[in-house]
Amino acid sequence: MEKIIYTDIAVIGAGPTGIVAAYNLARLGYKVSLFEKEESLGGNILKTYKLFPNFQSSNELLQLFGEMIVVNNLSLQTGVTVTNIRKDNNHWISTTNKGETIVSKAVLMATGFKPFDAHYKEEYGYGIYNGVITSLEFEKMLKCGEIYGSNGITPEKIAILNCVGSRDAKVGNNYCSRVCCINAVKFGIEIKEILPKAEVYCFYMDLRMTGQFYEELYRKSQQEYGVNYIRGKISEASQTADNRIQLKAEDTLLRLPIKMTVDLLILMIGIEASESTKELSAQTGIMGEYGFAKSHSLLKADNHTIHPGLFIAGTCKRPFTYPETVADARAAVVEIQHYLENKT
Amino acid sequence: MIDYFERLSRDVRVKEGLKACMNCGICTAICPAAEFFPYNPKEICNILQTKDNKKIEALLKNETIWYCGQCMSCKARCPRENVPGMLISALRKLSQETGLFVESSKGRQQYAISKTIAESILKSGYCVHAENVKPELHPEQGTVWNWYYNNLEEIADRLGANYKKHGPGSLRLIGKKNLDEINAIFEVTGGKKFLETIHSYSTKKAQEMNLEIDDSLNSPYFIKTYTEDSDQ
Amino acid sequence: MERKFWKNYQKDIPDNNYYYERSCIRQSFFPGSETTFLRIVGDVLGKQIEDDQNLHTCTGIGYHADVVPFETTQTIIARLFSLMSEKGYRNFVPSCVTSFGLLNEVVETWKHFPEELQQTRDFLKQATGREFEIPEYITHPCDIIYKFRKELKEKMRFQIVNQKTGEPLRVVEHIGCHYSKVFPQAVIGSAEFPQVLAGMVEEWGGQVIDYPERRHCCGFGFRHYLIMANRGYSIANSRKKFESMEPYHPDFIVTNCPGCTMFLDRWQYTIKEMEGKTYDKQGNGIPVLTYEEMTGLLLGFNPWDLGLQLHQISAEPLLDKIGIPYDKEQKYLGKSGKIIDFKGF
Repeated sequence: MEKIIYTDIAVIGAGPTGIVAAYNLARLGYKVSLFEKEESLGGNILKTYKLFPNFQSSNELLQLFGEMIVVNNLSLQTGVTVTNIRKDNNHWISTTNKGETIVSKAVLMATGFKPFDAHYKEEYGYGIYNGVITSLEFEKMLKCGEIYGSNGITPEKIAILNCVGSRDAKVGNNYCSRVCCINAVKFGIEIKEILPKAEVYCFYMDLRMTGQFYEELYRKSQQEYGVNYIRGKISEASQTADNRIQLKAEDTLLRLPIKMTVDLLILMIGIEASESTKELSAQTGIMGEYGFAKSHSLLKADNHTIHPGLFIAGTCKRPFTYPETVADARAAVVEIQHYLENKT
Repeated sequence: MIDYFERLSRDVRVKEGLKACMNCGICTAICPAAEFFPYNPKEICNILQTKDNKKIEALLKNETIWYCGQCMSCKARCPRENVPGMLISALRKLSQETGLFVESSKGRQQYAISKTIAESILKSGYCVHAENVKPELHPEQGTVWNWYYNNLEEIADRLGANYKKHGPGSLRLIGKKNLDEINAIFEVTGGKKFLETIHSYSTKKAQEMNLEIDDSLNSPYFIKTYTEDSDQ
Repeated sequence: MERKFWKNYQKDIPDNNYYYERSCIRQSFFPGSETTFLRIVGDVLGKQIEDDQNLHTCTGIGYHADVVPFETTQTIIARLFSLMSEKGYRNFVPSCVTSFGLLNEVVETWKHFPEELQQTRDFLKQATGREFEIPEYITHPCDIIYKFRKELKEKMRFQIVNQKTGEPLRVVEHIGCHYSKVFPQAVIGSAEFPQVLAGMVEEWGGQVIDYPERRHCCGFGFRHYLIMANRGYSIANSRKKFESMEPYHPDFIVTNCPGCTMFLDRWQYTIKEMEGKTYDKQGNGIPVLTYEEMTGLLLGFNPWDLGLQLHQISAEPLLDKIGIPYDKEQKYLGKSGKIIDFKGF
């Protein structure tokens, strides 16, 4: 039997953006239905250990999210995918894969990002060589408190490579993913804290230390932790006879090609539009460049879309850091409130 | 000063191969020439994108552009879709058209290449033909090559070739009509004029260097350009 | 933009009616390989393949050594296409890897710059009165062997297996830069993990070695080999590959490109002469086969019909490993049937 839910706002995606927006809308007295396709809430935060730049524990944030969703007026459903959204007169109709129909006055898309699939940068041999892992796999190692290299033993030499799947016409992503540079700096410090003797080499094209405390953290990683930074993008990784990873890059500041063998190569994978972002944007005609959802006006109405009542926030729009995505969620709340009170 | 950049920008290889380099070094990292010579493919992009004719003129005159081995490894990797290997082709063409190639020892080698490869194309229809790979100039070819070279027809034909004879097959004689048309194409497309340009600048340079030059592969200038190593 | 993972890189390979262009280097150094390819396609697979006596160089080596302008090269290639059109073919099969890369480059240039195509048509007409059609397919011979590798396997007498131990032989495959790097999208398995030779080796019982310098150039470098003074570049690059593959103890190297075959064979000899160094345990050197020779050997062709006697690194130890019989006497036979004395060379 078909189930119909009537609500003020349907929020799609219970990552940081969706949770913060849903919580604040509920506090304003609106009825909010929050949907998450995974079984647990938290989105991509679930895949991390600590967040830059202050090493905030992801678990603490997840705990906080858990507390936020028990607010009045908010109902959360996990393991439910919103497969379709459409406008019907003054209402929005969303349907889920569980056969539910949600009738709401407004919809907020907070469908987030997906990490770049490193298999597509074939020259790094991800999925072929054990010693080549992604930044998210490294987060898992950090969670377990144990770092191991290609031979399953403690690595002596680790390379970190920025811009994997970002700023790269060869994979169709010309944009910068915003979070990887500082995350790599964070990794450098985390490695040195666990393995003080390990040599760490961070390969980059430009280090974009744009956020508060980023530059300081970068300096600290060099000065106090001895992380090495090499300006040059790794061109290829291959496996040596003793199962280590051979890298070729240019030290562009010395203008010399370099060859280096490491025990572990961490690929800092970029941010791409998630499948839900792409699908729902395509359905509603709001898909912008690279599959991200496009706002009505970047400078004037960045949470609005071309459709009144359909709002977007967070990394479904473009790469954001955690504080940025949460700020964007709060901004969306104000816009939605105005809309529901017929002020805009 | 000649507007070198303007001339280069008309070359289809520059239109295709120069986008916007961000100096990531991915090309230099795997460039076989960068490992062996003082050569850095990303700097070729860099210099061209400055559009600075003085810097371009220096490139056309010095050894740098002659180091690339044209393997095109740079093409497969560049995240901005530049192709330094193609820019090199355009620069080398301009260096020869303007006569600046004779200013560097690696550049002067174009004379020897034109005398061997280009003349072989025009006379035989082959870029390379077994009979021109003389063991004395190719000691690396080894004892087997020596044996084969001295019995080319006997051995090649035993392997199904049709050595310097009419009809199809390996190392066959390429017919006159084909050679006439190849020569006509070189004439019409500027290929002949290009070779004449190489020869005339080389002749001038030979005189300047007090070296004899004639049509043969034995002239002192030929031998110098074929065997002399780089200035560097 | 379409994004593919290397395992999904496939390519349309026509299944019949090929127009074959011989390679200057292959003909000169390993003429038996081209003979063998025609035998495999014509006699073993029963396909139609044209061996046109009017064909000639594509100018590739002259182009990449910068003595032939691009306009001239485009028009010479247009003449090759015109000869193909004249014979009614659509599938151009260049034996040479440099030709393969350059032909693809030229056709791609014509797509993006129609004015270059028009100029080429005008030049060809003016010089020769000819017109031409662009081939429907530009296919390298290795693609054709790869396509029919399963059919060929059924007809094979040998496998890439050590007959004494039953273990697969360890094979280094070298694909050739202008086959894989100029147009990675035209390659089975992409530029990074090309599958065309690896696919043959694995299908026929061998084991492919993935060594660190697998993708590195053999070091031909055009002007670097053509000029005696520059050959240090060429040998240095080949040596880099040998040193990288040595710890994996390869039983042989199989190559795609006519030039690479010759360099990987000759530079082993040169290094041995200069330094006494060989890259196998026995002091013979690592045999280098063309993919045509490898296919012919497994099909049971006489090794001396394939032209293995033209390799400086002796192939006999490899034949013994696989268990391929050969007649020592026939190795030095000439066309006339007399033995051409090897002594003294």
